[in-house]
Amino acid sequence: MKYIQVNGLRKTFTVRKKREKGRLLREREAVPALQDISFQIDRGELVGYIGPNGAGKSTTVKILSGILTPDSGEVLVEGRIPWKDRREHARRIGVVFGQRMQLWWDVPILDSYDLLKEIYLLPDADYRSRLKELTEALQLGSLLRTPLRQLSLGQRMRAELCGSLLHRPGLLFLDEPSIGLDAVSKLALRDFLKWENREHGTTVLLTTHDMEDVAALCSRVMVLGHGKKLYDGDLPTLLSRYDTVRTVTVRFEQPDILPELPGAAGISREGDLVRVEYSPQMIPTPDILQGLQQAGTIRELTIQPENIDYLIASMYREMEL
Amino acid sequence: MRTYLSVFRLRRRMETQYRGAMIGGIICQVMFGLILIALYRALYQNKPQAMPVGHVVTYVWLQQAFFRMLLASDPDLLDKIRTGGIAYDLCRPVNLYAFYYVRIMAQKITGSLMRAVPMLILAALLPEGWGISLPDSLPGLLLSLPALLLGLFCVTALENITMAFTMRTLDPRGIQALLNLLMMTLSGNILPLTLFPDSWQRVITLLPYAQLLDAPIRLYTGDVPPAAAGRILLIQALWTAALTGLGYWLWQRHQRRLVLQGG
Repeated sequence: MKYIQVNGLRKTFTVRKKREKGRLLREREAVPALQDISFQIDRGELVGYIGPNGAGKSTTVKILSGILTPDSGEVLVEGRIPWKDRREHARRIGVVFGQRMQLWWDVPILDSYDLLKEIYLLPDADYRSRLKELTEALQLGSLLRTPLRQLSLGQRMRAELCGSLLHRPGLLFLDEPSIGLDAVSKLALRDFLKWENREHGTTVLLTTHDMEDVAALCSRVMVLGHGKKLYDGDLPTLLSRYDTVRTVTVRFEQPDILPELPGAAGISREGDLVRVEYSPQMIPTPDILQGLQQAGTIRELTIQPENIDYLIASMYREMEL
Repeated sequence: MRTYLSVFRLRRRMETQYRGAMIGGIICQVMFGLILIALYRALYQNKPQAMPVGHVVTYVWLQQAFFRMLLASDPDLLDKIRTGGIAYDLCRPVNLYAFYYVRIMAQKITGSLMRAVPMLILAALLPEGWGISLPDSLPGLLLSLPALLLGLFCVTALENITMAFTMRTLDPRGIQALLNLLMMTLSGNILPLTLFPDSWQRVITLLPYAQLLDAPIRLYTGDVPPAAAGRILLIQALWTAALTGLGYWLWQRHQRRLVLQGG
Protein backbone atom coordinates (compact mmCIF):
# COMPACT_ATOMS: atom_id res chain seq x y z
CA MET A 1 0.00 0.00 0.00
CA LYS A 2 1.16 3.51 -0.81
CA TYR A 3 2.02 6.06 1.86
CA ILE A 4 -0.77 8.39 0.81
CA GLN A 5 -3.79 7.11 -1.07
CA VAL A 6 -6.50 9.41 -2.33
CA ASN A 7 -9.46 8.05 -4.25
CA GLY A 8 -12.38 9.92 -5.76
CA LEU A 9 -12.15 12.88 -3.42
CA ARG A 10 -15.02 15.34 -3.66
CA LYS A 11 -15.85 18.48 -1.75
CA THR A 12 -18.46 21.10 -2.42
CA PHE A 13 -18.81 24.33 -0.50
CA THR A 14 -22.07 26.15 -0.10
CA VAL A 15 -21.72 29.85 -0.58
CA ARG A 16 -24.47 32.28 0.22
CA LYS A 17 -24.88 34.75 -2.58
CA LYS A 18 -25.71 38.39 -2.21
CA ARG A 19 -29.43 38.89 -1.88
CA GLU A 20 -31.05 39.78 -5.17
CA LYS A 21 -33.59 42.55 -5.43
CA GLY A 22 -37.14 41.46 -4.76
CA ARG A 23 -36.14 38.25 -3.05
CA LEU A 24 -36.59 37.65 0.61
CA LEU A 25 -33.83 35.14 1.19
CA ARG A 26 -30.32 34.92 -0.04
CA GLU A 27 -29.75 32.17 -2.52
CA ARG A 28 -27.24 29.50 -1.85
CA GLU A 29 -24.84 28.35 -4.47
CA ALA A 30 -22.89 25.13 -4.48
CA VAL A 31 -19.27 25.66 -5.44
CA PRO A 32 -17.50 22.43 -6.25
CA ALA A 33 -13.96 22.69 -4.89
CA LEU A 34 -12.79 19.15 -5.62
CA GLN A 35 -14.30 16.88 -8.24
CA ASP A 36 -13.09 13.34 -8.15
CA ILE A 37 -9.44 13.74 -7.23
CA SER A 38 -7.28 10.62 -7.01
CA PHE A 39 -3.56 10.20 -6.53
CA GLN A 40 -0.97 8.22 -4.65
CA ILE A 41 2.24 9.39 -3.07
CA ASP A 42 5.16 7.24 -1.95
CA ARG A 43 7.08 7.73 1.24
CA GLY A 44 9.92 10.20 0.75
CA GLU A 45 8.52 11.85 -2.38
CA LEU A 46 8.69 15.60 -2.92
CA VAL A 47 5.55 16.52 -4.80
CA GLY A 48 4.61 19.94 -6.13
CA TYR A 49 0.92 20.72 -6.16
CA ILE A 50 0.17 23.58 -8.49
CA GLY A 51 -2.80 25.27 -10.08
CA PRO A 52 -4.32 28.72 -10.41
CA ASN A 53 -5.98 30.50 -7.52
CA GLY A 54 -9.11 28.75 -6.37
CA ALA A 55 -8.24 25.44 -8.01
CA GLY A 56 -8.77 23.46 -4.81
CA LYS A 57 -5.17 23.07 -3.67
CA SER A 58 -5.69 24.32 -0.15
CA THR A 59 -8.88 22.32 0.16
CA THR A 60 -6.92 19.17 -0.62
CA VAL A 61 -4.29 20.07 1.95
CA LYS A 62 -6.92 20.78 4.57
CA ILE A 63 -8.55 17.41 3.94
CA LEU A 64 -5.25 15.58 4.00
CA SER A 65 -4.28 17.26 7.24
CA GLY A 66 -7.55 16.26 8.85
CA ILE A 67 -9.16 19.64 9.45
CA LEU A 68 -11.78 19.35 6.74
CA THR A 69 -14.14 16.49 5.97
CA PRO A 70 -14.72 15.66 2.29
CA ASP A 71 -18.19 14.96 0.91
CA SER A 72 -17.07 11.64 -0.48
CA GLY A 73 -13.96 9.75 -1.44
CA GLU A 74 -11.26 7.89 0.37
CA VAL A 75 -8.10 9.20 1.94
CA LEU A 76 -5.59 7.02 3.71
CA VAL A 77 -2.34 8.34 5.08
CA GLU A 78 -0.24 5.50 6.50
CA GLY A 79 -3.53 3.69 6.88
CA ARG A 80 -5.17 6.50 8.83
CA ILE A 81 -8.24 8.45 7.78
CA PRO A 82 -7.13 11.99 8.61
CA TRP A 83 -10.44 13.53 9.71
CA LYS A 84 -11.47 10.47 11.70
CA ASP A 85 -8.21 10.00 13.59
CA ARG A 86 -7.59 13.73 13.78
CA ARG A 87 -5.49 13.72 16.95
CA GLU A 88 -3.40 10.68 16.11
CA HIS A 89 -2.93 11.99 12.57
CA ALA A 90 -1.94 15.42 13.87
CA ARG A 91 0.87 13.88 15.86
CA ARG A 92 2.50 12.53 12.68
CA ILE A 93 2.17 15.41 10.26
CA GLY A 94 3.62 18.87 10.01
CA VAL A 95 1.87 21.78 8.35
CA VAL A 96 3.04 25.18 7.21
CA PHE A 97 0.41 27.63 6.09
CA GLY A 98 2.43 30.43 4.53
CA GLN A 99 -0.16 33.08 5.23
CA ARG A 100 -1.00 32.11 8.75
CA MET A 101 0.89 32.08 12.01
CA GLN A 102 1.31 29.37 14.56
CA LEU A 103 3.95 30.90 16.83
CA TRP A 104 2.89 33.29 19.55
CA TRP A 105 3.20 36.90 18.58
CA ASP A 106 4.34 38.53 21.80
CA VAL A 107 6.70 35.98 23.29
CA PRO A 108 10.20 34.80 22.29
CA ILE A 109 10.01 32.07 19.66
CA LEU A 110 11.78 29.66 21.99
CA ASP A 111 8.75 29.86 24.31
CA SER A 112 6.49 28.89 21.44
CA TYR A 113 8.77 25.95 20.69
CA ASP A 114 8.72 24.90 24.34
CA LEU A 115 4.95 24.90 24.14
CA LEU A 116 5.00 22.79 20.98
CA LYS A 117 7.25 20.36 22.81
CA GLU A 118 4.53 19.94 25.43
CA ILE A 119 1.74 19.78 22.85
CA TYR A 120 3.47 16.91 21.04
CA LEU A 121 4.73 15.44 24.33
CA LEU A 122 8.32 15.27 23.09
CA PRO A 123 10.96 13.79 25.38
CA ASP A 124 13.54 16.35 26.61
CA ALA A 125 16.63 14.95 24.93
CA ASP A 126 14.84 14.35 21.66
CA TYR A 127 13.45 17.87 21.62
CA ARG A 128 16.81 19.42 22.39
CA SER A 129 18.71 17.59 19.69
CA ARG A 130 16.01 18.28 17.12
CA LEU A 131 15.84 21.96 18.04
CA LYS A 132 19.61 22.21 17.73
CA GLU A 133 19.52 20.52 14.35
CA LEU A 134 16.74 22.75 13.05
CA THR A 135 18.08 26.03 14.40
CA GLU A 136 21.41 25.29 12.75
CA ALA A 137 19.89 24.34 9.43
CA LEU A 138 17.52 27.31 9.45
CA GLN A 139 20.00 29.74 11.04
CA LEU A 140 17.72 30.61 13.89
CA GLY A 141 20.18 30.31 16.76
CA SER A 142 20.52 34.03 17.41
CA LEU A 143 16.78 34.65 17.13
CA LEU A 144 15.47 32.18 19.68
CA ARG A 145 15.10 34.80 22.41
CA THR A 146 13.47 37.35 20.13
CA PRO A 147 9.71 37.81 20.21
CA LEU A 148 8.08 36.85 16.94
CA ARG A 149 6.75 40.36 16.38
CA GLN A 150 10.29 41.68 15.99
CA LEU A 151 11.30 39.26 13.24
CA SER A 152 11.34 40.07 9.55
CA LEU A 153 9.05 38.14 7.24
CA GLY A 154 11.83 35.82 6.09
CA GLN A 155 12.97 35.15 9.63
CA ARG A 156 9.42 34.52 10.69
CA MET A 157 8.90 32.04 7.89
CA ARG A 158 12.01 30.11 8.92
CA ALA A 159 10.85 30.20 12.53
CA GLU A 160 7.41 28.90 11.53
CA LEU A 161 8.99 26.10 9.53
CA CYS A 162 11.11 25.08 12.50
CA GLY A 163 7.96 25.00 14.64
CA SER A 164 6.24 22.69 12.17
CA LEU A 165 9.13 20.22 12.12
CA LEU A 166 10.04 19.96 15.81
CA HIS A 167 8.03 16.79 16.30
CA ARG A 168 9.75 15.07 13.37
CA PRO A 169 6.68 14.67 11.16
CA GLY A 170 7.00 12.02 8.48
CA LEU A 171 4.73 14.03 6.23
CA LEU A 172 4.97 17.74 5.65
CA PHE A 173 2.35 19.94 3.99
CA LEU A 174 3.68 23.25 2.80
CA ASP A 175 1.08 25.74 1.67
CA GLU A 176 2.89 28.65 -0.01
CA PRO A 177 5.90 28.59 2.25
CA SER A 178 8.00 31.03 0.25
CA ILE A 179 5.49 33.86 0.10
CA GLY A 180 7.26 37.19 0.52
CA LEU A 181 10.76 35.76 0.94
CA ASP A 182 13.83 37.44 -0.50
CA ALA A 183 16.18 35.52 -2.81
CA VAL A 184 18.56 34.47 -0.07
CA SER A 185 15.82 33.22 2.24
CA LYS A 186 14.14 31.44 -0.63
CA LEU A 187 17.32 29.57 -1.57
CA ALA A 188 17.96 28.77 2.08
CA LEU A 189 14.43 27.41 2.38
CA ARG A 190 14.92 25.18 -0.68
CA ASP A 191 18.24 23.86 0.58
CA PHE A 192 16.68 23.15 3.91
CA LEU A 193 13.72 21.27 2.45
CA LYS A 194 16.01 19.15 0.28
CA TRP A 195 18.17 18.42 3.30
CA GLU A 196 15.20 17.48 5.49
CA ASN A 197 13.85 15.22 2.76
CA ARG A 198 17.21 13.52 2.18
CA GLU A 199 18.21 13.27 5.83
CA HIS A 200 14.92 12.10 7.31
CA GLY A 201 13.00 10.78 4.33
CA THR A 202 10.26 13.30 5.00
CA THR A 203 7.48 13.22 2.44
CA VAL A 204 6.63 16.71 1.25
CA LEU A 205 3.57 18.04 -0.51
CA LEU A 206 4.35 21.57 -1.66
CA THR A 207 1.53 23.87 -2.69
CA THR A 208 2.78 27.01 -4.32
CA HIS A 209 2.63 29.52 -7.13
CA ASP A 210 6.40 29.84 -7.15
CA MET A 211 7.40 27.68 -10.10
CA GLU A 212 11.10 28.15 -9.39
CA ASP A 213 10.54 26.41 -6.07
CA VAL A 214 8.74 23.56 -7.76
CA ALA A 215 11.44 23.23 -10.42
CA ALA A 216 14.19 23.21 -7.80
CA LEU A 217 12.55 20.82 -5.36
CA CYS A 218 9.96 18.56 -6.84
CA SER A 219 10.57 15.45 -8.86
CA ARG A 220 6.88 15.27 -9.52
CA VAL A 221 4.12 17.81 -10.03
CA MET A 222 0.38 17.55 -9.97
CA VAL A 223 -1.64 20.24 -11.69
CA LEU A 224 -5.07 21.04 -10.37
CA GLY A 225 -7.68 23.20 -12.08
CA HIS A 226 -11.37 23.68 -11.36
CA GLY A 227 -11.17 20.92 -8.80
CA LYS A 228 -9.83 18.35 -11.25
CA LYS A 229 -6.41 16.81 -11.61
CA LEU A 230 -5.08 17.78 -15.02
CA TYR A 231 -1.54 16.49 -14.93
CA ASP A 232 0.56 14.18 -12.81
CA GLY A 233 4.18 13.59 -13.75
CA ASP A 234 7.55 15.28 -13.94
CA LEU A 235 7.93 18.98 -14.55
CA PRO A 236 10.25 18.97 -17.64
CA THR A 237 7.79 16.79 -19.58
CA LEU A 238 4.96 19.11 -18.65
CA LEU A 239 6.90 22.22 -19.61
CA SER A 240 8.18 20.85 -22.93
CA ARG A 241 4.61 20.85 -24.16
CA TYR A 242 4.38 24.59 -23.74
CA ASP A 243 7.99 25.45 -24.44
CA THR A 244 7.26 27.20 -27.74
CA VAL A 245 9.48 30.26 -27.64
CA ARG A 246 13.16 30.56 -26.80
CA THR A 247 15.37 33.58 -27.08
CA VAL A 248 19.04 33.66 -28.09
CA THR A 249 20.95 36.82 -27.33
CA VAL A 250 24.25 37.26 -29.16
CA ARG A 251 27.03 39.85 -29.13
CA PHE A 252 29.24 39.66 -32.26
CA GLU A 253 32.82 40.92 -32.60
CA GLN A 254 31.63 43.07 -35.51
CA PRO A 255 28.95 45.55 -34.29
CA ASP A 256 26.60 45.72 -37.25
CA ILE A 257 25.74 42.13 -38.16
CA LEU A 258 22.08 41.12 -38.58
CA PRO A 259 22.11 37.40 -39.39
CA GLU A 260 19.53 35.75 -41.60
CA LEU A 261 18.00 32.65 -40.06
CA PRO A 262 15.25 30.96 -42.01
CA GLY A 263 12.68 29.51 -39.58
CA ALA A 264 13.34 31.95 -36.74
CA ALA A 265 10.30 33.75 -35.41
CA GLY A 266 11.95 37.09 -35.00
CA ILE A 267 15.34 38.80 -35.26
CA SER A 268 16.06 42.20 -33.84
CA ARG A 269 19.02 44.34 -32.84
CA GLU A 270 19.39 46.65 -29.87
CA GLY A 271 22.76 48.38 -29.83
CA ASP A 272 25.33 45.64 -30.34
CA LEU A 273 23.02 42.91 -29.04
CA VAL A 274 21.17 40.68 -31.48
CA ARG A 275 18.09 38.93 -30.20
CA VAL A 276 16.69 35.89 -32.00
CA GLU A 277 13.39 34.28 -31.07
CA TYR A 278 12.61 30.81 -32.30
CA SER A 279 10.55 27.78 -31.54
CA PRO A 280 12.56 24.62 -30.82
CA GLN A 281 9.79 22.56 -32.43
CA MET A 282 10.14 24.51 -35.70
CA ILE A 283 13.91 24.76 -35.87
CA PRO A 284 16.37 22.81 -33.69
CA THR A 285 18.69 24.81 -31.46
CA PRO A 286 21.92 23.50 -33.15
CA ASP A 287 20.71 24.88 -36.50
CA ILE A 288 20.20 28.32 -34.95
CA LEU A 289 23.68 28.23 -33.45
CA GLN A 290 25.22 27.15 -36.72
CA GLY A 291 23.49 30.00 -38.55
CA LEU A 292 24.79 32.52 -36.05
CA GLN A 293 28.37 31.23 -36.26
CA GLN A 294 28.30 31.58 -40.01
CA ALA A 295 27.13 35.17 -39.72
CA GLY A 296 30.10 36.38 -37.71
CA THR A 297 32.49 35.83 -34.80
CA ILE A 298 30.51 35.38 -31.62
CA ARG A 299 31.83 37.11 -28.52
CA GLU A 300 29.01 36.20 -26.15
CA LEU A 301 25.83 34.13 -26.35
CA THR A 302 22.97 33.14 -24.05
CA ILE A 303 19.94 30.95 -24.69
CA GLN A 304 16.90 31.52 -22.56
CA PRO A 305 13.90 29.28 -22.39
CA GLU A 306 10.71 31.16 -21.89
CA ASN A 307 10.15 32.24 -18.33
CA ILE A 308 8.62 29.39 -16.39
CA ASP A 309 5.75 31.59 -15.25
CA TYR A 310 4.87 32.29 -18.88
CA LEU A 311 4.91 28.58 -19.61
CA ILE A 312 2.58 27.90 -16.73
CA ALA A 313 0.36 30.80 -17.74
CA SER A 314 0.07 29.45 -21.28
CA MET A 315 -0.63 26.02 -19.85
CA TYR A 316 -3.43 27.41 -17.67
CA ARG A 317 -4.77 29.28 -20.70
CA GLU A 318 -4.78 26.18 -22.83
CA MET A 319 -6.48 24.16 -20.10
CA GLU A 320 -8.97 27.01 -19.84
CA LEU A 321 -8.35 27.60 -16.18
CA MET B 1 -2.36 17.48 31.22
CA ARG B 2 1.22 18.58 30.66
CA THR B 3 0.12 20.16 27.41
CA TYR B 4 -2.68 22.23 28.89
CA LEU B 5 -0.55 23.35 31.81
CA SER B 6 2.01 24.69 29.35
CA VAL B 7 -0.62 26.56 27.37
CA PHE B 8 -1.77 28.08 30.64
CA ARG B 9 1.75 29.11 31.60
CA LEU B 10 2.57 30.66 28.25
CA ARG B 11 -0.67 32.63 28.12
CA ARG B 12 0.00 33.82 31.66
CA ARG B 13 3.46 34.97 30.64
CA MET B 14 2.07 36.78 27.67
CA GLU B 15 -0.45 38.62 29.82
CA THR B 16 2.21 39.84 32.22
CA GLN B 17 3.97 41.51 29.32
CA TYR B 18 1.21 44.03 28.82
CA ARG B 19 2.14 46.35 31.69
CA GLY B 20 0.91 49.44 29.90
CA ALA B 21 -2.50 47.86 29.45
CA MET B 22 -2.47 46.94 33.12
CA ILE B 23 -1.73 50.48 34.31
CA GLY B 24 -4.25 51.96 31.88
CA GLY B 25 -6.82 49.41 33.03
CA ILE B 26 -6.25 50.19 36.69
CA ILE B 27 -6.61 53.93 36.16
CA CYS B 28 -9.77 53.42 34.13
CA GLN B 29 -11.30 51.05 36.66
CA VAL B 30 -10.41 53.29 39.63
CA MET B 31 -12.06 56.24 37.90
CA PHE B 32 -15.14 54.17 37.18
CA GLY B 33 -15.20 53.01 40.80
CA LEU B 34 -14.96 56.54 42.17
CA ILE B 35 -17.66 57.86 39.86
CA LEU B 36 -20.03 55.01 40.69
CA ILE B 37 -19.40 55.42 44.41
CA ALA B 38 -19.98 59.19 44.23
CA LEU B 39 -23.23 58.43 42.43
CA TYR B 40 -24.43 55.94 45.01
CA ARG B 41 -23.43 58.19 47.90
CA ALA B 42 -25.47 61.00 46.39
CA LEU B 43 -28.38 58.62 45.95
CA TYR B 44 -28.14 57.46 49.55
CA GLN B 45 -28.02 61.03 50.91
CA ASN B 46 -31.44 61.69 49.49
CA LYS B 47 -33.00 58.28 49.75
CA PRO B 48 -31.23 55.63 51.83
CA GLN B 49 -31.80 52.07 50.64
CA ALA B 50 -32.26 48.90 52.65
CA MET B 51 -28.74 47.85 51.78
CA PRO B 52 -26.06 49.73 53.78
CA VAL B 53 -23.99 52.10 51.65
CA GLY B 54 -20.78 50.45 52.86
CA HIS B 55 -21.88 47.22 51.19
CA VAL B 56 -22.52 49.03 47.93
CA VAL B 57 -19.10 50.68 48.00
CA THR B 58 -17.42 47.35 48.68
CA TYR B 59 -19.48 45.74 45.94
CA VAL B 60 -18.40 48.40 43.44
CA TRP B 61 -14.72 48.05 44.31
CA LEU B 62 -14.73 44.27 44.02
CA GLN B 63 -16.54 44.49 40.69
CA GLN B 64 -14.07 47.02 39.35
CA ALA B 65 -11.05 45.11 40.67
CA PHE B 66 -12.09 41.91 38.91
CA PHE B 67 -13.43 43.65 35.83
CA ARG B 68 -10.84 41.93 33.66
CA MET B 69 -12.29 38.56 34.61
CA LEU B 70 -15.66 39.46 33.12
CA LEU B 71 -15.09 41.69 30.15
CA ALA B 72 -11.93 40.94 28.27
CA SER B 73 -11.79 38.59 25.36
CA ASP B 74 -8.49 37.23 24.23
CA PRO B 75 -7.70 39.44 21.22
CA ASP B 76 -5.20 36.93 19.84
CA LEU B 77 -7.74 34.16 19.95
CA LEU B 78 -10.39 36.21 18.16
CA ASP B 79 -7.82 37.23 15.55
CA LYS B 80 -6.90 33.62 15.02
CA ILE B 81 -10.48 32.70 14.32
CA ARG B 82 -10.99 35.66 12.04
CA THR B 83 -7.80 35.19 10.04
CA GLY B 84 -7.89 31.41 9.95
CA GLY B 85 -4.75 30.98 12.06
CA ILE B 86 -6.93 28.55 13.93
CA ALA B 87 -6.11 26.04 11.17
CA TYR B 88 -2.86 25.42 13.00
CA ASP B 89 -4.65 24.65 16.25
CA LEU B 90 -6.84 22.15 14.45
CA CYS B 91 -3.68 20.36 13.32
CA ARG B 92 -2.59 19.75 16.91
CA PRO B 93 -3.07 16.52 18.78
CA VAL B 94 -5.12 18.22 21.48
CA ASN B 95 -8.68 18.50 22.64
CA LEU B 96 -9.67 21.91 21.33
CA TYR B 97 -12.16 22.70 24.06
CA ALA B 98 -9.60 22.13 26.79
CA PHE B 99 -6.92 23.87 24.75
CA TYR B 100 -8.92 27.10 24.56
CA TYR B 101 -10.39 26.71 28.03
CA VAL B 102 -7.01 26.88 29.75
CA ARG B 103 -5.96 29.70 27.48
CA ILE B 104 -9.00 31.82 28.32
CA MET B 105 -8.68 30.98 32.00
CA ALA B 106 -5.00 31.93 32.12
CA GLN B 107 -5.79 35.31 30.67
CA LYS B 108 -8.66 35.90 33.07
CA ILE B 109 -6.74 34.87 36.18
CA THR B 110 -3.56 36.71 35.32
CA GLY B 111 -5.24 39.77 33.91
CA SER B 112 -7.59 40.22 36.83
CA LEU B 113 -5.07 39.42 39.59
CA MET B 114 -2.56 41.87 38.13
CA ARG B 115 -5.18 44.58 38.40
CA ALA B 116 -7.12 43.43 41.46
CA VAL B 117 -4.22 43.31 43.91
CA PRO B 118 -3.02 46.92 43.51
CA MET B 119 -6.58 48.17 43.16
CA LEU B 120 -7.83 46.50 46.32
CA ILE B 121 -4.87 47.84 48.28
CA LEU B 122 -5.66 51.29 46.97
CA ALA B 123 -9.36 50.89 47.74
CA ALA B 124 -8.53 49.81 51.29
CA LEU B 125 -6.53 53.00 51.84
CA LEU B 126 -9.37 55.31 50.85
CA PRO B 127 -11.26 57.15 53.64
CA GLU B 128 -14.28 55.64 55.37
CA GLY B 129 -17.34 55.60 53.14
CA TRP B 130 -15.23 55.66 49.97
CA GLY B 131 -12.98 52.66 50.49
CA ILE B 132 -13.59 48.91 50.57
CA SER B 133 -14.66 47.37 53.88
CA LEU B 134 -13.25 44.27 55.49
CA PRO B 135 -15.21 41.07 54.91
CA ASP B 136 -18.27 40.69 57.06
CA SER B 137 -16.95 37.59 58.79
CA LEU B 138 -14.10 35.11 58.45
CA PRO B 139 -16.41 32.30 57.27
CA GLY B 140 -17.87 34.78 54.78
CA LEU B 141 -14.40 35.48 53.38
CA LEU B 142 -13.45 31.80 53.33
CA LEU B 143 -16.66 30.91 51.48
CA SER B 144 -16.27 33.73 48.97
CA LEU B 145 -13.02 32.20 47.74
CA PRO B 146 -14.47 28.94 46.36
CA ALA B 147 -17.37 31.03 45.06
CA LEU B 148 -14.87 33.22 43.19
CA LEU B 149 -13.21 30.12 41.78
CA LEU B 150 -16.54 28.74 40.60
CA GLY B 151 -17.27 32.15 39.12
CA LEU B 152 -14.01 31.90 37.21
CA PHE B 153 -14.90 28.45 35.86
CA CYS B 154 -18.29 29.74 34.91
CA VAL B 155 -17.06 32.81 33.05
CA THR B 156 -14.38 30.80 31.27
CA ALA B 157 -16.97 28.31 30.08
CA LEU B 158 -19.20 31.18 29.00
CA GLU B 159 -16.44 32.76 26.96
CA ASN B 160 -15.52 29.46 25.37
CA ILE B 161 -19.12 29.21 24.16
CA THR B 162 -18.76 32.68 22.64
CA MET B 163 -15.61 31.47 20.91
CA ALA B 164 -17.46 28.48 19.53
CA PHE B 165 -20.12 30.79 18.11
CA THR B 166 -17.46 33.07 16.71
CA MET B 167 -16.14 30.09 14.79
CA ARG B 168 -19.43 29.99 12.95
CA THR B 169 -20.06 33.66 12.38
CA LEU B 170 -16.37 34.51 11.88
CA ASP B 171 -16.82 38.07 12.99
CA PRO B 172 -17.23 38.32 16.74
CA ARG B 173 -18.18 41.98 16.93
CA GLY B 174 -21.95 41.67 16.61
CA ILE B 175 -22.48 38.94 19.14
CA GLN B 176 -19.79 40.36 21.38
CA ALA B 177 -21.54 43.72 21.67
CA LEU B 178 -24.76 41.99 22.69
CA LEU B 179 -23.06 39.67 25.14
CA ASN B 180 -21.11 42.53 26.69
CA LEU B 181 -24.32 44.40 27.31
CA LEU B 182 -25.82 41.37 29.03
CA MET B 183 -22.62 40.90 30.98
CA MET B 184 -22.40 44.52 32.15
CA THR B 185 -25.98 44.67 33.36
CA LEU B 186 -26.69 41.16 34.61
CA SER B 187 -23.38 40.56 36.37
CA GLY B 188 -23.77 43.64 38.57
CA ASN B 189 -20.91 45.51 36.99
CA ILE B 190 -22.81 48.76 36.34
CA LEU B 191 -25.51 48.56 38.96
CA PRO B 192 -24.93 46.23 41.92
CA LEU B 193 -27.45 43.41 41.68
CA THR B 194 -28.14 43.97 45.37
CA LEU B 195 -29.84 47.28 44.47
CA PHE B 196 -32.31 45.70 42.04
CA PRO B 197 -35.90 45.27 43.31
CA ASP B 198 -36.22 42.07 45.33
CA SER B 199 -38.54 40.41 42.86
CA TRP B 200 -36.03 41.05 40.04
CA GLN B 201 -33.17 39.78 42.16
CA ARG B 202 -34.89 36.45 42.69
CA VAL B 203 -34.69 35.84 38.94
CA ILE B 204 -31.43 37.61 38.10
CA THR B 205 -29.43 35.80 40.75
CA LEU B 206 -30.39 32.52 39.11
CA LEU B 207 -28.93 33.54 35.74
CA PRO B 208 -25.37 32.53 34.83
CA TYR B 209 -24.09 36.12 34.87
CA ALA B 210 -24.86 36.46 38.58
CA GLN B 211 -22.67 33.44 39.32
CA LEU B 212 -19.47 35.16 38.21
CA LEU B 213 -18.79 37.95 40.70
CA ASP B 214 -22.11 38.74 42.34
CA ALA B 215 -22.17 35.44 44.21
CA PRO B 216 -18.70 35.73 45.79
CA ILE B 217 -19.22 39.42 46.57
CA ARG B 218 -22.47 38.72 48.43
CA LEU B 219 -20.66 36.17 50.55
CA TYR B 220 -17.84 38.64 51.21
CA THR B 221 -20.13 41.50 52.26
CA GLY B 222 -22.34 39.19 54.30
CA ASP B 223 -25.37 40.02 52.18
CA VAL B 224 -25.74 36.27 52.02
CA PRO B 225 -24.92 34.83 55.45
CA PRO B 226 -22.44 31.91 55.53
CA ALA B 227 -25.27 29.60 56.59
CA ALA B 228 -26.97 30.16 53.21
CA ALA B 229 -23.77 29.76 51.19
CA GLY B 230 -24.55 26.17 50.23
CA ARG B 231 -27.39 27.23 47.94
CA ILE B 232 -25.22 29.82 46.19
CA LEU B 233 -22.35 27.42 45.65
CA LEU B 234 -24.74 24.79 44.34
CA ILE B 235 -26.28 27.15 41.78
CA GLN B 236 -22.77 28.15 40.69
CA ALA B 237 -21.69 24.54 40.35
CA LEU B 238 -24.79 23.66 38.31
CA TRP B 239 -24.21 26.54 35.90
CA THR B 240 -20.54 25.68 35.60
CA ALA B 241 -21.40 22.12 34.68
CA ALA B 242 -24.12 23.16 32.23
CA LEU B 243 -22.03 25.81 30.47
CA THR B 244 -18.98 23.58 30.28
CA GLY B 245 -21.06 20.77 28.84
CA LEU B 246 -22.67 23.01 26.25
CA GLY B 247 -19.34 24.52 25.20
CA TYR B 248 -17.70 21.12 24.94
CA TRP B 249 -20.52 19.85 22.75
CA LEU B 250 -20.35 22.91 20.48
CA TRP B 251 -16.61 22.52 19.96
CA GLN B 252 -16.92 18.82 19.24
CA ARG B 253 -19.54 19.61 16.62
CA HIS B 254 -17.38 22.32 15.08
CA GLN B 255 -14.40 20.10 14.85
CA ARG B 256 -16.33 17.84 12.52
CA ARG B 257 -17.94 20.39 10.28
CA LEU B 258 -15.62 23.30 10.15
CA VAL B 259 -15.03 25.34 7.05
CA LEU B 260 -11.89 27.37 6.81
CA GLN B 261 -12.15 30.03 4.22
CA GLY B 262 -9.47 31.12 1.80
CA GLY B 263 -6.23 29.56 0.66
